[in-house]
Amino acid sequence: MALVVAFSTWLKSTELSWAVRHFPWIWPASETLHFMGLAMLIGAVGLVDLRMLGVAKGLPFAALHKLIPWGVAGFTINLITGFLFFAGDPFQYINNIAFGLKVLFILLAGLNMIAFYATGVFRTAEALGPGDDAPVSAKLIAASSLFLWIGVMYLGRMLPFIGNAF
Amino acid sequence: MSFLTAIEQSGFCTWVRESGSMWAYPLILFLHTVGLGFVVGTCMVIDLRLLGYAPRIPLKPIERFFPLLWAGFWISAISGTILLAADATTKVISTIFYVKMAFITIGVSLIPRLRTSVLRDGGVPVSKGKLVAAISLACWAGAITAGRLQAYLGPVSGATGLTNHF
Repeated sequence: MALVVAFSTWLKSTELSWAVRHFPWIWPASETLHFMGLAMLIGAVGLVDLRMLGVAKGLPFAALHKLIPWGVAGFTINLITGFLFFAGDPFQYINNIAFGLKVLFILLAGLNMIAFYATGVFRTAEALGPGDDAPVSAKLIAASSLFLWIGVMYLGRMLPFIGNAF
Repeated sequence: MSFLTAIEQSGFCTWVRESGSMWAYPLILFLHTVGLGFVVGTCMVIDLRLLGYAPRIPLKPIERFFPLLWAGFWISAISGTILLAADATTKVISTIFYVKMAFITIGVSLIPRLRTSVLRDGGVPVSKGKLVAAISLACWAGAITAGRLQAYLGPVSGATGLTNHF
């Protein structure tokens, strides 16, 4: 925790942090982009997850999986804009339980993604043609992904209500 | 105006706005965000596909995602109606609120057209399908932007003590 406080103290002294606080348009512009990134991530990852869970089974998995770069772009936008919020006022986040849990959920979603791509589950999913049912392992990963990303949205929305961050 | 005041001061709306319960304003705001994620996320992905991204995704099976899209829309519409009722007198005099509603009205009115393009896989002139997709994409970006700016432009509303400003 001392390291987190030291990092936050340094970050708040940077010009980036000053800029986020000084230019009043940066915050709303970043929030707007953060919501667009959210929709991009849910639109891509959510639909791929739902296909594995059996929705729109007529779609061949490999083709639908081409949406993933769009979702990654959304996540990248949110990582950058999220970092700007953090840089602007790190101390409203580091003691906020909702923020801690949000970061934890994002890390878990990352681990879940590694479990999907690094264990051969992706190979089996990739071979799913129109009408094919995904194996249970893929369904478990898909359900976890949906749960975790919706959880990330919940915790993000709760930042002002659990601990007064915005 | 007294009609709006009556709605705003009703027991339910007062509870939503002022109770401080996690089941009141915070939950409704979260549902509004999840709905946004699914309606805008799914719409954007369909728009992109119609515009030529990920061309290997067959169009017809995408039709199965429309119930998800509509579910997202209704979650946002119902939660949004509650948020509007809870702040009726301030929302109706907020220009940015009407800008948001205009974008959403156009965006939603285009959903059946998107479905026609998807169902008639190749049967709708590509240029027409692309124009509708481009307008849809722009409307959702506009709706998100206007929605976010409600916290910054016009009269302040929302849950008691909630702030979005430094």
